[in-house]
Amino acid sequence: MTGLTQTLSKNPLREPGDIARRYTVYVLVGGAVLATSIHLLVLGTDWSRMGTLAQIGETVASLTPNLSYIPKVAEPLFETALMAFWGTLLAVILSIPVAYLGATRTTPSMLLGFPVGRGIIILSRSTHEIIFALIFVAALGLGPLPGILALACRSIGFMSKTTAEAIENVDQGPIEALEATGAGKASQFLFGVVPQVSPTFLGNAIFQFDINIRRAAILGMVGAGGIGLHFSEQMKTYNYGNAGACVLAVVVLVIFGEIISNRLRTRIISG
Amino acid sequence: MAFLTIRDLRKTYPTGETALRGVDIEVEEREIVALLGLSGSGKSTLLRCINRLVEPDSGEVILDGLDITRLGKRDLRRTRGKIGMIFQHFNLVDRLTVLENVLSGTLGSSSFLRAFTRAFPQDDIRRAIELCSRVGIADHIKKRADQLSGGQRQRVGIARALIQKPKLLLVDEPTSSLDPKIGAEVMELICEIADERSIPVLFSVHDVGQARSYSHRIIGLQNGEKVFDEDTGALDRKSLNLIYEMKPVPASAAQ
Repeated sequence: MTGLTQTLSKNPLREPGDIARRYTVYVLVGGAVLATSIHLLVLGTDWSRMGTLAQIGETVASLTPNLSYIPKVAEPLFETALMAFWGTLLAVILSIPVAYLGATRTTPSMLLGFPVGRGIIILSRSTHEIIFALIFVAALGLGPLPGILALACRSIGFMSKTTAEAIENVDQGPIEALEATGAGKASQFLFGVVPQVSPTFLGNAIFQFDINIRRAAILGMVGAGGIGLHFSEQMKTYNYGNAGACVLAVVVLVIFGEIISNRLRTRIISG
Repeated sequence: MAFLTIRDLRKTYPTGETALRGVDIEVEEREIVALLGLSGSGKSTLLRCINRLVEPDSGEVILDGLDITRLGKRDLRRTRGKIGMIFQHFNLVDRLTVLENVLSGTLGSSSFLRAFTRAFPQDDIRRAIELCSRVGIADHIKKRADQLSGGQRQRVGIARALIQKPKLLLVDEPTSSLDPKIGAEVMELICEIADERSIPVLFSVHDVGQARSYSHRIIGLQNGEKVFDEDTGALDRKSLNLIYEMKPVPASAAQ
């Protein structure tokens, strides 16, 4: 008892030793970040080539959308939206078996199925969509198909991971009740797991569609179809006004996608 | 032999916890039997060993001449279809409608495709609706299960068990999640229906009063062993002390 009170100061939450230690860590970590930033970022920049603020303004101004170019953007814009749609749908469908393999509750084998499911999830989540697009463009050529596959590969991981987690967190009560009625594994899954998981699943699918619209807009830059292809062509040929029109179109598409997904999400929550 | 005969049932969980240490029980046709005992005395495990939701280590469970412990997967499922079960936490699928929850009691006998498209046989649907009105939830058939009150939810659970046309009802603390008044109504309903359909009932319960009011016979479990088995009228203070007495755990079990 005396030993404890002796080692504590008046306020045990503000021990002088603890405070000193904490601030030493702050200073050391902060100093390290600052020092490496100066070395790599500040000294690594070619300041002699840096333009003035006015020059930056000029460049931005040159991107003022050329509205007469908008009609030509319509087709690739739809292509982008459709790429996002099919890429997401493909990922959503494929994520079901992957989640089934990757959830400890449902996986048929911890030795074989589980590592395969988890492996696909990790691979998909750790690889950027541009990398997937480059691979599929190299394999399949230019166009929207490699873009769709790239989006699908990118989304599978997220969809499977969240679905597998939802499966792990399912309330076992109803499943026990279904098992007690003599229902088979498939029926137990259909009536016990699916209704519990489906709000999360559909919500995430919509979320992925929303994100995939943005991703699809970029993929064209590496040749995987959609509006990105147009954008990079116009940039390369110095038609900044046309490139600006592409950017404007993408902004409109993203806002549109967000409105749709918000509507759908509200319907799922209330339904 | 009794309609349900349990012989020397034993269960030790992988965690090393022994739930049943050789229990013998008989339930006659039309008999309503209450299981009393402290939490952890093995009531829940005993009920779940009967339909093998929990796999017993050894012993026999003979229902109407059939040893359930020896059944293969297919036969076990078929037999489970004839045993209705009612749960403390109702165990409904919240996001499905009342009617779907009741019809889920028929999943054992319907194909996956039928279940997927909700194309249940007309006869099952008719029976489900009849049962809903029998248990007093006819007005809520199309509502989602999570929109009902506790008492109503347990009534859905009862209807789900009854649509199986059960030969035996296993009831696991049906009133513990309900207030006393609603709990009594639910118990009364279960016993009424069991009586009108001649279904024997084995129910576990914490409330000694309910065990007294609704059972024909009382079985007391303590630490996985049967310590009392008499007609309900014979339950007195002495026998309650016997059932609820905290004995020191034997050295062999404490390891």
